Amino acid sequence: MNIVYAVATIFITINYGLVLQGIIGKVYARVATRIGLRIYQPYINIIRQWVTRTSINHGIMYYLGPVFRFTGGGGILIFLPVIYGAPFFSSFSSAGDMLLIMYFMFLGTLGMALGGGESGHPYAAIAVTRGLAQTTAAEFPLILAIFSIVTQYQTLDVNQIVAAQQGSVLNWTLFTNPLATIAAMLAFLGSMMRSPFDVVLAPQEIPIGPPTEYQSQFLAMLMTNRTIFPVAKTILYVNLFFGGVALQDSWLLTFVIFFLKTFFVYMWSVFVGVSFPRFRVDQSVRWFLKAPAALGVLAIIFVQTGM
Amino acid sequence: MVEPVYLIVVALGAAFSLGLLRKAGFVMHHLVLLLSLATMTAISAQWTVGLFTGSVSPAAIPTAGFSPPISINLQMGKTEGFLTLLVNLSVFLSSLFMIKTVKRRSVYVPMLMLVFASGLNGIIMTRDLFNLFVFIEIMSIALAGLIVLNGDIQQLGAGFKYILAGALTSGLMLIGIIFTYHTTGSLNIDTIANALTPELKAVGYAGLFLIFIGVLIELKPFPVNGFGLDVYESAHPAVGAVVSAGAATATLYAFAKIAIMSGDLFLELSMVVGAVTFVGMNVVALQQKIANRLLGYSSLSQVGLLVLVWSLVKWQNIANGDLIVLGLLVTHAFAKATLFWLSGIIQKEKIEDWGIIKQRIYLLFPFAIALLALIGLPPFPSFFAKWELIMALAANQSHLAIALILGGSLVEAVYLMRWFGHAFKNTAAEDETLSVSFCQLLPVFAGGLLLIGLGYPASLLSATASPIPWMLTAFVLFTFAMEFLPAKIKNIIVMAAIAWYGYPLLTTIGGYRVIFAGIFVIGALVTMIPGFSHKGNRLGFYPSLTMMFAGLIGIIEAKETMSFFFYWEMMTVGSYFLILRGKNSKPHALSYFLFSLGGAYLILAAFGYSFGQTTSVSLDTLSQVASTPYAALVMLFLSIGFMTKTASVGLHIWLPGAHAEAESDVSPMVSGILLKAGIFGLLMTFIALGDQKIGFVDIAYVLSWVGAISALVGNYLAAMQEDAKRLLAYSSVGQMGYALFGLSLMSHLGWLGALSLSVIHFTYKVILFLAVGGIVYRLKTKNMYEMGGLIRKMPITFFAVLVSIIALSGIPPLAGFGGRWVAYNAVIEKGWMLQGAIIGFSGIIAFLYLFRLIHTIFLGQLKDAHRKVKEAPLPFLLPQMLLIGLVMFLSSRPHTFLAPIGEIVKEFKPDGALTWTGPLAQSHLGYWDGVMVMWVFMGLFAANFALLFIMNRRAQPVKQFNIVYAAERPARPETTHFAYNFFAPYRRALGFLEYPLATHFFDGITDFLHAAAGFIRRLYTGNGQTYLFQIVAFVVVVFLLANGGF
Repeated sequence: MNIVYAVATIFITINYGLVLQGIIGKVYARVATRIGLRIYQPYINIIRQWVTRTSINHGIMYYLGPVFRFTGGGGILIFLPVIYGAPFFSSFSSAGDMLLIMYFMFLGTLGMALGGGESGHPYAAIAVTRGLAQTTAAEFPLILAIFSIVTQYQTLDVNQIVAAQQGSVLNWTLFTNPLATIAAMLAFLGSMMRSPFDVVLAPQEIPIGPPTEYQSQFLAMLMTNRTIFPVAKTILYVNLFFGGVALQDSWLLTFVIFFLKTFFVYMWSVFVGVSFPRFRVDQSVRWFLKAPAALGVLAIIFVQTGM
Repeated sequence: MVEPVYLIVVALGAAFSLGLLRKAGFVMHHLVLLLSLATMTAISAQWTVGLFTGSVSPAAIPTAGFSPPISINLQMGKTEGFLTLLVNLSVFLSSLFMIKTVKRRSVYVPMLMLVFASGLNGIIMTRDLFNLFVFIEIMSIALAGLIVLNGDIQQLGAGFKYILAGALTSGLMLIGIIFTYHTTGSLNIDTIANALTPELKAVGYAGLFLIFIGVLIELKPFPVNGFGLDVYESAHPAVGAVVSAGAATATLYAFAKIAIMSGDLFLELSMVVGAVTFVGMNVVALQQKIANRLLGYSSLSQVGLLVLVWSLVKWQNIANGDLIVLGLLVTHAFAKATLFWLSGIIQKEKIEDWGIIKQRIYLLFPFAIALLALIGLPPFPSFFAKWELIMALAANQSHLAIALILGGSLVEAVYLMRWFGHAFKNTAAEDETLSVSFCQLLPVFAGGLLLIGLGYPASLLSATASPIPWMLTAFVLFTFAMEFLPAKIKNIIVMAAIAWYGYPLLTTIGGYRVIFAGIFVIGALVTMIPGFSHKGNRLGFYPSLTMMFAGLIGIIEAKETMSFFFYWEMMTVGSYFLILRGKNSKPHALSYFLFSLGGAYLILAAFGYSFGQTTSVSLDTLSQVASTPYAALVMLFLSIGFMTKTASVGLHIWLPGAHAEAESDVSPMVSGILLKAGIFGLLMTFIALGDQKIGFVDIAYVLSWVGAISALVGNYLAAMQEDAKRLLAYSSVGQMGYALFGLSLMSHLGWLGALSLSVIHFTYKVILFLAVGGIVYRLKTKNMYEMGGLIRKMPITFFAVLVSIIALSGIPPLAGFGGRWVAYNAVIEKGWMLQGAIIGFSGIIAFLYLFRLIHTIFLGQLKDAHRKVKEAPLPFLLPQMLLIGLVMFLSSRPHTFLAPIGEIVKEFKPDGALTWTGPLAQSHLGYWDGVMVMWVFMGLFAANFALLFIMNRRAQPVKQFNIVYAAERPARPETTHFAYNFFAPYRRALGFLEYPLATHFFDGITDFLHAAAGFIRRLYTGNGQTYLFQIVAFVVVVFLLANGGF
C-alpha cells in the first residue's frame, strides 16, 4: 500500500511543481515587463521531451545519470513526512530521519554529474565543479541551523519537530529560533539554482551543465525530477521552520495550507532571484561562509546557552 | 681456565715474536695475528661463560708474587670478562677484515694491532691507577701507528693531532695520579676508593679531578673532540672499527673505574658532559655528508650517551643497570664496527654515493641491522636497554634525562636513516663495480648476526617485563631465509602463515581487539593478492611485509607495554621499508620514519610514566594511571604518539608522500590497514584513561578540534591534488580526522561511529588504492589530468570506484551512511556543535575530491594514447571485487555489523547505546532503517530505469566527439578534457587552507638544527693547536663549572 501512496505523492508533486514553474516563469517575465509564456507551458515542454523519437546515448553512466537523479529526487519525497498526521503522505518516512533525507539529496546530484561527465563535454564538468563548490559552502550554515534546531527539539525525527511546532503560529521555529531559520533560509537560496547563485547552470546566456548534454527522454526525466526536487526541499524547510503542514479536518484546508506555505517558501528564492545580480562561485563560497555561517553559529550558541 | 693474564701475555708475546718473524711473509704475520686474537677471544669467552653461568668465581690476579696494594693487580669479573670478549672479538674481526685491504704489507701492522689489543685488555682488567695510565699509553701509541697505516697526508695529520691531544691528556692524568698518590698513599683503585674520607676528598680534589678529566677527554667529549673526528674520518675503516668498538669500550670502563674510585664526586659532571656530547654530536652530524666522519660523530655521540647513562645509573641506583649499560655498549660496539667495515667495502666517501651497495644487495641486510640497532629498535639489545632505562628514569621522574635521551636519539635517527635512504634509492654510475672478499664479508655478517643474536638474551634480562612472545619475530627472520624463492611462492607462504596464525586469533581474541584483528588479518590477506602480479623474486619485500603485519598482529596480542612497544616499533620498521620501495619515496619514507619514531618515543615515555606510577607493565593496568597525578601527561603523550600514526593535522605531513609514492600494492596496505593501528592505540588509551584535564583544558575537547580540523584540511587538500594517489592519501588524513573526532567524543555513539568508520574505511580505501594502482600500472602516470574517459576501457575498475566513492561519501543506501548517521547523533548528543559542523562541512567537501577522482579518470575525454589500454590485471581486480562484495553486504544489512560493534562498545560506554529492532536502529534522537532504505532505493531505481528503458531503448550510441561544442569540433581530447586545477574557484575562495603551516613549522625546526650544526662545526678547524687550546679551555671551564667558579 505504501508503494501506491508513494507513487501518488510523486504524481501530485510533479503537477504542483509544474504549476509552480509556470507561475515563476510569469513572475520573472512580469518583473522584466514581458508578458511571458502560458502558465501551462511547462507541461508542454515536459511532454514533448518524453515523446521525442530521436535520442542519442554516450554510454552506460550517461544512460544511468537521469535514473540516479530521479531516484534521488523521488526518494527524498517519499522519505519525507509531507503532511503531518497523514500516513498517506508519509509513505516511507519510517526508513530514516532528517539525516537520511539530507544525505539522500546528494545521490541524484552525483548521478547526474557522472552522467553529464560521460558525455565528454568540458562544460558539464565545469558546471559540476561550480555546483559542488557552491553547495559545500551553502550547506555549512544549513548544518549549523539544523544542529541548532535539533538541539532545541532534541530529536532528528521530522515528525516530532513538526509536532513540537503545533498549537500556535508562535510555536514555529521561525519564532522560537529565528537565527537558525534565517541561516537556513539563506542557505536555501544556494541550493535553488536561482540568482545570485545560478552561475552553476547560468541558464540564459551560456548553456552549461549536465542537463545541457541531455535530450529526449533523458532530459524529460531530469526535467521531471526538477519539478519535484525543489518542492521536496521546500517541504523539508516548511516542516523544520514553518510549522509543517498538519492534517486538518478537511483535506481541502490541508492542501490549501500546504500550497500556501510551500508556495511562499519557494517564492523566497524567486523574489531574491529577480532582485539580485549573479555571484561568481568564489564570491558565493565566501558569502555563505560569512554572515549565514555566523548566524548559524549564533543560533547554536543561543540554543546551547538557553538564551 | 686459562689465566686471564694470558690475555696480555699472548698479545705482547705474539707482537714481540712477530719482530723475529719479520721475513716470514705477509701470510705468516697475519696468521700469527689472527691466531693470537682468536686465542684471546677464546680465553675471554671461556671466562665470560664461566662467570655468567657461575661455574667459576671472579678472579683477582696478583703480579710479581705480591698481593695488592703492594703490587699491580688485575681483575676478572663478569664485566671484565664480557668487555674483554667484546674488544677481542672486534679486534679479531677487524684484523680479518684488514687482510685484503691494507695497503702497506709490513709486519708492523699486525704488531701494532696486537699491542693495541693488549692495551685494551690491560685497561679493562687492571685495578691500579698507574698501570691504567700505562695501558692507556700503550693503546694510544699503538693506535697512533694504526691511524697512519696508509701514510697519506690526511692520516699523518690525524695521527699527529691524536698524539698531541693524547700527550696533553696523559700529562694531566699523570699529574693527577701523583697528587692522588700523595694524598691517599696508594695507587690501587679499590684501596683509594675505600680510603676516601670526606676530608681526603676535599684535599685530594684536584688530583682526582685531573685523573677524571684526563680519562674523560680520552672519551672525546663535545666540543673538544676534533682530533677524534679526524681519526675516524681518515683512518682505515678497520681501524675506525677497533677505535669505536675496542678503544671506546675499554676507555669507558676506565672512566667507570675512575668515577667509582672518586666516590660520587664527578657523577653530576659526567652526566652533563655526557648529555652535551650526546646531543651536540648528533646535531652536528646532521650536516655531515662524509660517511666515515658521520660514523665518527655517531660514535662520539654514542659514547656521550654511555657516559650519561652510566652516570645516571650510578647516580639514581638504577636496579637493572648492567643490562642498560652493557646493552647499549654491545650494540654500539658491533653496530659501529659493522658500519665501519661496510664503509671499507663500499669505499665511497660521500653517503650519497652509497647506492653502489646495491650491486651486492645482501650487504643492505647488515647495513640496515646496524643502523636500526644504533637507533635502538627491536629486536636488538639496545632496544631492551633503552626500554629499561626509560622505565627506570620515568619511575625516578627524571624528565630532563628522558627528554634528552629520546630527543637525541631522534636526531640520530635522522642522519642514520637518511643515509640508508641514499644507499637504498640512489644508483651508482654504470662503470663502477663493487668487489668484496670473503674476509670482508665474514666480519660484516658476524656483526649483524651478533646484534640479532644478542637481542634474545637481552630480552630475558629485562626486569620490568616478562619476555616478549618471539613467535612472530621468528617468522619474520624465517622470511629472510626464503628470499631466494620466487615472489609468487613467497606470497603464498606468507598468506598461508597469516591465515594460519590469524584464524585462531580472530576466534579467540575478544572485545574491541577483534575488530582490529579482523582488519589486520583479513586486510593482509586481501591486499596481498595483487602481489601475484609481480615477477621475479621481489627481494626484500616479504621480510618487510611480514615485519609490518607481524607488528600489527603483535600489538593486538600484546598483554604488556613492552611487547606492545616491541611490535609497534617492528611494524614501523617494516612499513618504512615497504614505503621506501616506491620509486620516488626516499624523502617521504624518511619523514614517515621520523614522525613514527617521534611518536613511538612519546608512547615509550608514557609507558615509562605509567610504570613509574603503577609499577606494572600490564596493559590492563594502564587504567590505574588514571587516578595518579601523571594521568593527563600519559594520556597526552599516548594520544600524540598514536596521532602521528593516524596523521592528524600538524603531524600529517609525512602521509601524502608516503602513501602516494609507495608501490601500487603497498599503498592500500599502509592506508587501509596501517592507519588503523593508530586508531587502535587511541582507543586503547581512551578506554584505559578516560578523559583527563591539564589545568582547565580538557584533552578530549582539544582532540575533537584536532580531529575536526584534520577532516577539513585533509578533505580540502585532497580536492586540490592533481595526483590521484595523493588525493587518496589526503583523503585518509580527513577520514582519520573523523575517527579521531568520534573517539574524542568519549561516548557510546562516538566510539561506535569511529569503529564502524575504521571498518568501512578499510574496505573502500583499499578498493580505491587498488583501483588507482591498477590504473597507474596500465597508464604509467598518477596525474589525473593525463587520464580521462577510461570508463569504456576499465569498466570493472570504474564500477569499483563508483561503489567506493558512494560508500565513502556517506550517501545512502551504501554502508558509509550508517557511520555518518551515528556520528551526527553522537555530535548532537554531546553538544560539540562547532566541531561537528566542521566535520559535516568536511563531509561535503569530500564530494569535491570524490567527483574529481571519478570524473577526471573515467569520464570526460579518452586520450589517443589510451585507446588500447586494457582493464587492470586480475590480481588487482580480484581483491576489489571481494571488498565490493563486503561493502554491498554491509550496506544491505548494516545492523549485522553495527549491532555487534555496539555490543563491544557497551562494555566501556554503556550509556546512550542504540536500540535495534531488527534492522531499525533508534537513538534517543532519531532512527534509521538501513534495509528499508536499500529496498526503497532499489525499487525506485529499478522503476526509473524501466521507465527510461521503455521510452528510449532505441537511443543511438554516439562517438566521443559528438557533443555540442559551439558548432565546432573539439581539436584534441587533451584540450577538451576538463581536469587540471579542477576547483579553481574554490581555491580562490578558500586557498588559505592550503598554507603549509605544519610543513613550515617542521621545516623551521629542521633549519634551526641544521644552522646550529653549521655553526658548531666551526669549532672543528682541523688545526692541532686550536684543538689543544680547546682541550685546555675545556679543562678549565669544567673545573670552574664543577666548583661553581663562575
